[in-house]
Amino acid sequence: MPVRTIDVRERVMAKNDELAAGVRARLRAAGVPTFNLVSSPGSGKTLLLERTLADLGAELDIAVITGDVQTQNDADRLARHTDRLVQAVVTNGACHLDARQVATALDAIDLVETDLLFIENVGNLVCPASWDLGEDAKVVLFSVTEGEDKPAKYPKMFREARVCVFTKMDLLAHVPFSVVRATGIALDVNPELQFLYTSALQPAGMDEWYGFLRARARRASAA
Amino acid sequence: MHEMSVALEVCRMAEERLGRDALGGVVAVGLEVGDDAGVEPENLAFCLEAVLATPPFHGAKPVIKRLPGDVLRLSYLEVEDAGPND
Repeated sequence: MPVRTIDVRERVMAKNDELAAGVRARLRAAGVPTFNLVSSPGSGKTLLLERTLADLGAELDIAVITGDVQTQNDADRLARHTDRLVQAVVTNGACHLDARQVATALDAIDLVETDLLFIENVGNLVCPASWDLGEDAKVVLFSVTEGEDKPAKYPKMFREARVCVFTKMDLLAHVPFSVVRATGIALDVNPELQFLYTSALQPAGMDEWYGFLRARARRASAA
Repeated sequence: MHEMSVALEVCRMAEERLGRDALGGVVAVGLEVGDDAGVEPENLAFCLEAVLATPPFHGAKPVIKRLPGDVLRLSYLEVEDAGPND
């Protein structure tokens, strides 16, 4: 049978991006600044959020959506630090969250009563870089127990991120990690990247992180 | 790593187009994949072969064209041309 060619020329991410635009519009209308936390597994996303909820929870109404391939363990950990419902998305094997999952999770969140929303993505420095979730900014966590050259190895993620939060700074004395070198490599990939230096377990640098969040929350409420 | 997600989305897009334009059986699915798209072309081809083996595609062949940049696009469908119905 003869064949004919049908021109399609559609971006594969078009549907996700359309859903993400809808999420972004809902969040902006409600004045809720939203950060998509991304990193490799074990970089300290959940611990950073635990500490943030414990320290800022009385001051800001913070909602959280967590994504994990399996288990609701992260959501359970975070729920101990907030009275609010932590929305757990179990991806059942998928290596990232997508905008449809976030849109569904948002349905259960009272945005009027929310000052700040975190999306804790699946731990993975590759795939979440490609999926827009409707966030204001991706925040990439970079722990000092990783290789300094992570930004060179995973450039797309560091290019997509607006902020880089170094974590586990309290372990610096025990690991051969140069923050200066790592920062330089990250800047080579993304010269616009903003940096914060934190330790959540032995709290240090958290005030700068909280200052960043407060400023965003205030800006949103003033808009 | 997310090539299967991309493959499933490509199939959803192709199915939508097939339904919308009442097209015949698919012979080939053409994609453009940029070097910076965050997708490994060989892995994507493998995933596409797996999902295109199932209805309504019945073994359509994925054809991947590598390009510079971060493009990730379903560029064309090659379909059986049954000719005019009348």
